[in-house]
Amino acid sequence: MTIAVSKTPLSNPFYVAKAINAFDGTCVSVEYLEVIGGMTAFGKVMNGDVDFGTSSDSVIAFQSLSTQTFVTHTMFSQSDNDVKLITRTADDIQSVMALKGKKIGVIKRSASEYLLSTLLAIEGLVMADVKLYYYKPEDLLQALHDHQVDAIVPWEPYAYQISQLLGDKIKTHDTKNLSTLSFNLISLPPDPLLVEKASCVILGLQKAIDYISANPIESKKIVLRALNLEPSFIEWVWPDYIFKLGLNQSLKINIESQARWAIETQISEYREESTAEHFIDSRALLQVAPDAVNLSR
Amino acid sequence: MKLSLQQQILLFTLISSALFVVLVTSIIWSTQVVNITVKRVQYAHQVEDQTNVLKQFILSENIYSSDYNTDNWLALEEEFNTLLKLSPVLTPQQQTIQNSISSQNKSVQRLFNAIHKNKLKNANPAIKKHLKVRLITQLDAIRTDSIQLSNISDQDIKNVIKNQLIFVLLILILIIFTLAYGAFRLIKVFKTSLNEVKMAFKENHSGHFQHIHFSNPSEEFESIAKAFNDMNEKLSVTTISLESMKKIVKERTQKLEQLSNTDSLTKVANRRALFERGNAEFSRIQRTKGQLAIILLDCDLFKNINDKYGHVFGDKVLIHLSDICTKEIRSVDFFARYGGEEFIIILPDSGLPAAIETAKRIQQSLASHFIKFEEKDITITISVGISTANEQHNNFEALVKDADSAMYKAKENGRNRIETTENKNTIIKKA
Repeated sequence: MTIAVSKTPLSNPFYVAKAINAFDGTCVSVEYLEVIGGMTAFGKVMNGDVDFGTSSDSVIAFQSLSTQTFVTHTMFSQSDNDVKLITRTADDIQSVMALKGKKIGVIKRSASEYLLSTLLAIEGLVMADVKLYYYKPEDLLQALHDHQVDAIVPWEPYAYQISQLLGDKIKTHDTKNLSTLSFNLISLPPDPLLVEKASCVILGLQKAIDYISANPIESKKIVLRALNLEPSFIEWVWPDYIFKLGLNQSLKINIESQARWAIETQISEYREESTAEHFIDSRALLQVAPDAVNLSR
Repeated sequence: MKLSLQQQILLFTLISSALFVVLVTSIIWSTQVVNITVKRVQYAHQVEDQTNVLKQFILSENIYSSDYNTDNWLALEEEFNTLLKLSPVLTPQQQTIQNSISSQNKSVQRLFNAIHKNKLKNANPAIKKHLKVRLITQLDAIRTDSIQLSNISDQDIKNVIKNQLIFVLLILILIIFTLAYGAFRLIKVFKTSLNEVKMAFKENHSGHFQHIHFSNPSEEFESIAKAFNDMNEKLSVTTISLESMKKIVKERTQKLEQLSNTDSLTKVANRRALFERGNAEFSRIQRTKGQLAIILLDCDLFKNINDKYGHVFGDKVLIHLSDICTKEIRSVDFFARYGGEEFIIILPDSGLPAAIETAKRIQQSLASHFIKFEEKDITITISVGISTANEQHNNFEALVKDADSAMYKAKENGRNRIETTENKNTIIKKA
């Protein structure tokens, strides 16, 4: 069984699960296909290249508007500071208001685009007030560096890599708590066998998450090795992360509100809202951790 | 290591006490764990309630109003922050949820502050609505987390109580088992050891002075066994068994009886034995109407022999006479010394002819067997009186008296003769 795992510290439970052999005791043998970004992982799932994938709630929200059918089985990590707004120091952009009319590089249909829209909205701006340029996550750094854009909205670990490479030449704006990004296990609409497989994966994730709670230092080392990162990076982002299983009302509302927002801000080409409930399958999580399921009001 | 009974009792008491202490400690511990867990549940409920209050506040208030006063909001947030800071000690799993709650609360505060900062003057209603929904979503996430925290704590309480119940039951079973085993073991040692002591006393009673060997050795009973075994060793040396004593007494009695019935010189039956046997035979013929004859024989001129050859030779003559008589009578006949140089032969189931025949045989034997005295052959003769039992005899003495009369008649008629009392005609027989 193959899982497309997005290369981000938010996928930490998967790396830890592999490192502590958490899947050994479950009913599946698991292979990872490492991809860059939840969008790519989503695409792999949709193409049938993999059984499961890891995607952010933003991706789920955007994709829920399309005609594609898929489900999320569980949320397994979240961060209130994973996506960041970065500008060049020389441009002296002090506030979001100053972005008006600027060229901004984002990752299409993702948490990156969603954060930008939220930041603009708080200042009373809309997406039309800026010039959007879409990039792959790994290409944002070069775009900023080459002055193709005035600002970029990358997620980790790219934000950290940019700050390491460009140092004082860039400014990372404080956007902590202004958006919450969650990572989820997704698949095509499952038959009972796939639900069974999903529960096996979730069981492994639960073991990994319990391990992370009890052994944070060792867990940090695991993700460092897995993503080939520096220790200072993990110390930088670790406080922002929360690893826990859950399928709850807030995820539902979050997906719905982001989808609605995508329509209203014209990020999405689709105009029909859909109910998030269609994209949530709680059967597998109910088997493993019934307490973590809280979908009714 | 071998333990004494006292030490064993002490050990069982100590083990049971230790188990009891473990039991009490575990109950106290689990009570504290339940208390902590109950506090966690209470905390989770407080978080949920407070989040609901905040949510209601956001829903009901017009936070975009230009003259909106944030004091009430700040007061509520302050209260909520204080609550989060005073969270009880949590498990790692619960702490993760607590971190999520804190993080999301910060997000709520940050978003609210951002909104309040510029009141979204330029924003359209859709943006305002969206950000308000975001606030509510965050609060809802906190509420959901608090419910999960509460559920985990509930489960913890159930687990603690279940585990404690199993633990208490196990300890109780262990205590009961230890006590039962201890009691069983002590009873077994006491019962078997006492039985073995009892058996040993019984054996002693029968004269078998054996050692006690306990099948369940214990220091206390071993000391009894040692004292008992020491005692038995001494007893076995100094005490003759009842059986041995009976055997000795029987042997001595037989010896004494033999001595009392035997003539010391001739080693034939004495007068006492003669009358005992005579009376018995007389009684028998009275019952059976059978025959009985007696021969009374007297050594002729015995006084002269004594005077002439000395008493020692006289004794030798009597022994010689006894030997001849013993040899010549039947096995059923009874030969005894009547007194002095007089002897009587009892002949059961015999009439006069058989008695005369016996007497003759003796006379002939005496005539052919000499006794040497200083190279000189001496011949012994006897005078014999024979009587046979008839209606006139009332007892054995009467029969003897008749034989005595017949013998005197033989003396009077010249010695070395046989006289009878069957008829008054004296039969003189010379050997």
